[in-house]
Amino acid sequence: MSALLEVDKVEAGYGDVQVLWGADMTVAKGETVLLMGVNGAGKTTLLRSLVGLQPCRGGAICLNGKDISALKPDARIRRGMAYMSELGVFPTLSIAENLRLGAYALSGSQASQRADQMYQMFPDLAKKRRAAAASLSGGQRKMLGLAKTLMSGADLILLDEPSSGLAPVFVSQVIETLKEVIGTGTSLLIAEQNIAFLALADRGYLMDHGRMEVSGTRAELEGSDAVRKAYFGVSAEG
Amino acid sequence: MTALLEYAIVGGLLYGIFFGLVAVGLNLIFGVMRIINLAHGEFVVLGGFGAYWLTSAFGLNPLWGVPLAALGAVVIGFPLYYAIVPRLQRSRDPEMLSFILFFGLAQVIEALVTLGFGPDQRTLPSDALGSGSPSVFGQAFPESWWWAAGISVVAIVGLWLYLTRTRLGFATRAIMANRDEALATGISVDRVSSIAFIIGLALAGAAGVFVPYLQGSVAPGIGNDLTTTSFAILIIGSLGNPIGTLLGGLVFGVGSMLMQTFYASWSNLVPYVLLVAIVLIRPQGLFGKSVRHA
Repeated sequence: MSALLEVDKVEAGYGDVQVLWGADMTVAKGETVLLMGVNGAGKTTLLRSLVGLQPCRGGAICLNGKDISALKPDARIRRGMAYMSELGVFPTLSIAENLRLGAYALSGSQASQRADQMYQMFPDLAKKRRAAAASLSGGQRKMLGLAKTLMSGADLILLDEPSSGLAPVFVSQVIETLKEVIGTGTSLLIAEQNIAFLALADRGYLMDHGRMEVSGTRAELEGSDAVRKAYFGVSAEG
Repeated sequence: MTALLEYAIVGGLLYGIFFGLVAVGLNLIFGVMRIINLAHGEFVVLGGFGAYWLTSAFGLNPLWGVPLAALGAVVIGFPLYYAIVPRLQRSRDPEMLSFILFFGLAQVIEALVTLGFGPDQRTLPSDALGSGSPSVFGQAFPESWWWAAGISVVAIVGLWLYLTRTRLGFATRAIMANRDEALATGISVDRVSSIAFIIGLALAGAAGVFVPYLQGSVAPGIGNDLTTTSFAILIIGSLGNPIGTLLGGLVFGVGSMLMQTFYASWSNLVPYVLLVAIVLIRPQGLFGKSVRHA
């Protein structure tokens, strides 16, 4: 598989605090990659750097073989990337308006076609098109965030903690929806603390202190001592 | 007594609708850029002098000042936005820096207007917008007041339609809601903000055309008062919503007219008393909703 996203020794931080210390990773076309790590490991900062919300202090980010490190977020997104932040939606805007903005670069007719597909995929949203996103429950808001992110039809979707703040029943719903998305051939990079998302992934990375500590296939990570230690505080030896 | 009350209420509604237009540009610019444009009143004054110039130099109807304000906003607004705003937003304390910067800009505009037109008050021909006095409930007001109110309603409703019916309008409201999320969604935030900035200035300039009628005259030094009154109105209404600003203008207009009619010497206090009361009792504004965040 050829690389859709290549991240090469990316460094980033806030003020005097450096968070990413030369992070490397790749996502191939059609692949689902899980970015694991505890709170503060640098997952969100890495995703924000990839989409251009956080300036890189070093390294390079290539999408489809082209260096996008110097581009603004809107230019990166036009090149086939979409990003769902932890907030994910505009609370004061309606569901329909949120979806329209998810396809910001598309024409009105293309956007309404995509919106119809989203309403089929997320029937709960279809019933409340004119309702403000703020009126939705946490689970519905995540679904709207996901639908908004899918609106652009991007090749690569970056998801920041899609399970955050959700009850377990909604987490399973998110996972089921993501399975559908994966079925369409879209590449996913999911930053998650919840180990349940590993079941979706082809490969994964474990981040620690702004570096990639471990990388491997799903099977390798499931058997990894480092992952076990990071998530459960114990290794295989006890 | 009843006639006086009716006079104050009808006049207050017309005056208030007009002040909705005066304030709505400040609301838009604050909502999108989180910048208090302290030069807002000076842009209103510029609109007033633009209309005066068209009338005195070319004998044109002052209403031509409205499209002139839109044109002027594009010519001044684009370079001004790109010279100031991106730099402000990169700074460590954009709010504080914007106060100082736009305060300076206000002084510059006032000085330039004084240089160009002199420090005196200027008026527009009283019959230029019609010499009749249409009346409602038996209360007659000059045609210019009806023109001011009519154009204000059209402009504010036009802005509301832009914000609620167009993709750029959705994007503008998205930036108001959360700038970072707007960037992350792929919205070209600078482009959308610059358009909002220009619309804000154009609305201020268009309001300025009617200042000589509603306030009696226009002078280079009245910008500060207009900025403060606009600020009070947008707090009374609600931030981010133009219809809220219109309603804020109505509360201010009727309040002012009632005070002017019955306790004239206290009337200048109206916007500030309302401002303090609203901030203490209902900080989201009379017509604002508090928003639940994630």
